[in-house]
Amino acid sequence: MRRTWLAAVAAMALVAPAQAADLRVGTSSDIVTLDPGNHRSRVTESALLNVYDALVARTDDMKLVPELAESVTQIDATTWEAKLRRGVRFHDGSEMTAEDVKFTYDRLTRTNAMDGKTSPRQSLVGPVAETIVVDSHTVRFKLSSPWPIFRAYIPFNQIVSKAFVEKVKTDGMATQAMGTGPFKLTEWRRGDSLILERFPGYYGGSPDLLPVGPARVDRVIFRIIPEPASRVAALLAGEVDLIDELPHHAIRQIEANPRTQVLRTNGTRSFFIDLNNLKPPFNDPRVRQAANHAINRQLIIDRLLNGLAVPLATLISPDSYGYNASLKPYAHDVARARALLAEAGHPNGVDVTLDVTNAFKEQGEVVAQMLTQAGIRAKVQLWEATALSDMWKDPAKHDRQMYFRSWGDGALDPVGIFNPVLKSRDRGNFSGYSNAEVDRLLTAADTEIDVEARSRMYQDAQAIIHRETPLLYLWLPQDVYGASRRLKDWGPSPRGVVKLHDARLD
Amino acid sequence: MSALAAAAPETRFAAGLHALRANRAAMLSLLIVAGFAVLALLAPWIAPHDPTEGDLLRRLQPPAWMEGGEAAYPLGCDALGRDILSRLIHGTRVSMSIGVAVVLAATAIGALLGLLAGYLRGGFDVAISRVVDVLLGFPYLIFAIGLMAVMGPGLANIVLVLVIKEWVMPCRVVRAETLAAREMDYVEAARALGETTAHILFREILPNILSTLLVVATFRMAAIIIIEASLSFLGLGVQPPAASWGSMIADGRQFMLDAWWVSTLPGLAILALVLAINIASQGMRDAFDPGLRA
Amino acid sequence: MNPIALAERLLQLIPVLFGISAIVFSMMALTPGDPVDVMLGDSLATPAQRAAMRQDMGLDLPMHERFLRFLGNAVQGEFGTSFHHRRPVADVIAERIPATIELTLAAMLLALAIGVPLGVLAAVRRDGWFDRLATVATLLGVSMPGFWFGILAILIFSVTLGLFPVAGRIGYSSEVPFVTGMLLVDTLVAGKPKAFLEALRHLALPATTLGLAMAALLARVTRSAMIDALRQDYIVFAEAKGLSRARIVLRHALKNALIPTVTVAAIETGTLLGGNMIVETVFGWPGLGRLVVEAIFTRNYPIVQAAVLLYAVTYVLLNLVADILYTMLNPRVRL
Repeated sequence: MRRTWLAAVAAMALVAPAQAADLRVGTSSDIVTLDPGNHRSRVTESALLNVYDALVARTDDMKLVPELAESVTQIDATTWEAKLRRGVRFHDGSEMTAEDVKFTYDRLTRTNAMDGKTSPRQSLVGPVAETIVVDSHTVRFKLSSPWPIFRAYIPFNQIVSKAFVEKVKTDGMATQAMGTGPFKLTEWRRGDSLILERFPGYYGGSPDLLPVGPARVDRVIFRIIPEPASRVAALLAGEVDLIDELPHHAIRQIEANPRTQVLRTNGTRSFFIDLNNLKPPFNDPRVRQAANHAINRQLIIDRLLNGLAVPLATLISPDSYGYNASLKPYAHDVARARALLAEAGHPNGVDVTLDVTNAFKEQGEVVAQMLTQAGIRAKVQLWEATALSDMWKDPAKHDRQMYFRSWGDGALDPVGIFNPVLKSRDRGNFSGYSNAEVDRLLTAADTEIDVEARSRMYQDAQAIIHRETPLLYLWLPQDVYGASRRLKDWGPSPRGVVKLHDARLD
Repeated sequence: MSALAAAAPETRFAAGLHALRANRAAMLSLLIVAGFAVLALLAPWIAPHDPTEGDLLRRLQPPAWMEGGEAAYPLGCDALGRDILSRLIHGTRVSMSIGVAVVLAATAIGALLGLLAGYLRGGFDVAISRVVDVLLGFPYLIFAIGLMAVMGPGLANIVLVLVIKEWVMPCRVVRAETLAAREMDYVEAARALGETTAHILFREILPNILSTLLVVATFRMAAIIIIEASLSFLGLGVQPPAASWGSMIADGRQFMLDAWWVSTLPGLAILALVLAINIASQGMRDAFDPGLRA
Repeated sequence: MNPIALAERLLQLIPVLFGISAIVFSMMALTPGDPVDVMLGDSLATPAQRAAMRQDMGLDLPMHERFLRFLGNAVQGEFGTSFHHRRPVADVIAERIPATIELTLAAMLLALAIGVPLGVLAAVRRDGWFDRLATVATLLGVSMPGFWFGILAILIFSVTLGLFPVAGRIGYSSEVPFVTGMLLVDTLVAGKPKAFLEALRHLALPATTLGLAMAALLARVTRSAMIDALRQDYIVFAEAKGLSRARIVLRHALKNALIPTVTVAAIETGTLLGGNMIVETVFGWPGLGRLVVEAIFTRNYPIVQAAVLLYAVTYVLLNLVADILYTMLNPRVRL
């Protein structure tokens, strides 16, 4: 009896090892839909990039390269033209034309265009007022106002087939897929996995992204494993070949295993602490500077983040366009912090509360300890993320003091962070910061076409902000992935997406 | 049951205690629970270090018996370099006080409403029974998560949320027992003597169902400690720097692979306490349930 | 149970469901956090676009109107559109139900398979060392937080021993035609023993994690009922007649002792159904519990409302089933 049971277990263990050309990705959450125009979820976008291509793509070092378009050129301040690649086919074999591009953009930009619903991605297309078919492979975009970052936002808009959408309607698009991407849909097992297979008729992708040609694995499987500890376990057990959101402390474990490796890239998500500039004690810039001097960023990065982050002197990534390289992070200097506090009339220190979301409890606790050592006695209060951002929305209406948070910008353009977070009364400006000169620079940069001049505006704004320190700058962590050593020709993208066109398995 | 229940309550309770004393496993478990209670009460004097003071240089330091450990930190350190032993000792306080507070409040509310509903019957009973039905039909964790999302994390909120859901358990039991007791001779006799309703409820019926209530309460206390841990797992636990055992396991689970002690030790602590409570209450059930004694 | 009593019980459902709807609805309304913010994220959306989204989600109406509308639609079996999936709530939930049912039933069967024999043996060997040991062993399961046990199990059985997979319901190479949505059934119906074994391997750890906790309760109920049954006159009589002990225990006492066990199992199936979100999260099991917890955190109200209602109906119906079972198995009780 006992022996048969053991034999049965052993036999079960041998059932169906993964096929050599199945690339299995363990991911933290499921996609919400298969419709590239009907979501605002980064996970969904990441998976769908393998099924749908866009006019323009981003390389792993964040350069823009043509994908479905051969070129995208600016005609005048408010007109752009895209020349489409010829011979691109959808998964059903039909050719992609200018009509499909117009249909895609109309679906995103027009109110109620999706069978009575408006696309939640409308704001990612900017002020595109009209999309005009010039000929079968040329499209023009008319904007209602100048938008210098038009090209940077094109990768967010994936091209769908007009004929297919008209056939299955928006309802059908949620569970079916028909793109021009390197993989086509096999099956979406809701909450469990998304199974894709190679599309043999793929046009090859951007010629600037080598190698060009069909995908190199037979299938890609995204398996949903929400619990980080389980995700790491699945990689170590050889059950998946790649996992996202690898916790920093698991890095040693993954590196020590001969079959697994750690892959990393500079992230695009800046961490900082909002200081309530409208209420004491942080309405005094000296107290804000004291807080900035209290934090030993490098120690936290070394110890807590395994060295995988850079300390920040401004809100954006050093890789970002418009980065002001002359600014240096505030030095860790407890004596200076105490002196600044005393100068501001707090020789005995101040008591404050630091609001933190559950995911960053550990980091928040360390920051609070460091602040406390410098006389800013911080008490950590945990919140659920959604509740906290709602509470902070209007800085004039609450008495909260510090908010540990982050803001990501996949386009690596300052507009995505500076405008919402630092412009007066903008929707992400939780600190209540307001500076007329900063506002002027940011507004001017919105429509400045000259790339150099626009960059200078952002650098000037950063210099002012750095001096006034409305925030407590923290760090910019790297995005970390765990992978099997069999995985080749794939590197993480700072955009945080997993596109597997080039990837292969040994 | 009728004959025994009709007997003087003291006798029944005393007989139960006698039976309980004979159950060595239950007595040992009670001793363990008492030990934990002492730890909880004396935490600040027993703990070797400040449970909230950490040193990042000691991050994830192993227990003393392992390589890299040191005697001053016998059970090692957590992710922020805080002494795990001290945190465990202080965590006893948090976890046990959540269990005790919830059970005391829920039992008081539930017993009172159950007594009234079972004794008064009529509209009050119907109303209470419907509320009980509604709360029972609501999945426990979803209710707790939903309400915690409304109120935000924190020790007081956990207790409040759990009491709101928990009182129906004793209420249901007490109501059923009261319904039965209502028809019994000793209650009828008291009524005939013209005793007040309050006297009948609290002096006649309550003592008779006290042992049942005690068993329910201890079982629920075990369950509540586990539920608190589940809420911590979902990020709805106590506020730092305080730590319950549940939040210690939840925070440490990410280090399970390379620093097992951070999460395993509080897990064993929960296991020991909850198992002891469960065995003790099972022993009490056997001892106090007259149907099973004989 | 006669039809009138049955109808009465079903009618009692109405106030319960109304009460539960009101609670969920007010919970969702009082929870801080704006679903529109969650939906649009760190976006560049203009105020007009946000207003349009709010209207689209039906959040522009006043509270009471939304509640009345929800009730009116719910009565017709219409639960609206999931904020994030942008598909009908009924579809999104229906897709997750089979996985949850499969896990729950497997856990319950496992709990019965462990709890009943242990309970019976403990009763027969009452107060002996086996009784004590069985008590402690079954209580172990209920004395550990599920997520802790689950992660430990993954580390031991998946990472170290490689016996069971970490996550998911079945391998990617198995194609199972949809019949019930429960893979153990569907693979057998389709005649795919290999896929069946695969599904079984995936189910093993989560079902054990969930089932162990339940086994303690069933063992306790069985033990009490068994002790009770063994004291009945007819058992004593059978013993006097010289029937073998094993025969008495299995044929006569167990039959009666199982009545409370089955009843409790039916009721507790409802508890398990609504209480497996932790295990689903740890093992990446695509069930309803995980969906609901995610929905609470992302303020996806329509999903939470519909799912809680579904749980409540199931719970009440399972209680009804328990009562019916109790009457059927025990002819002395008439409801």
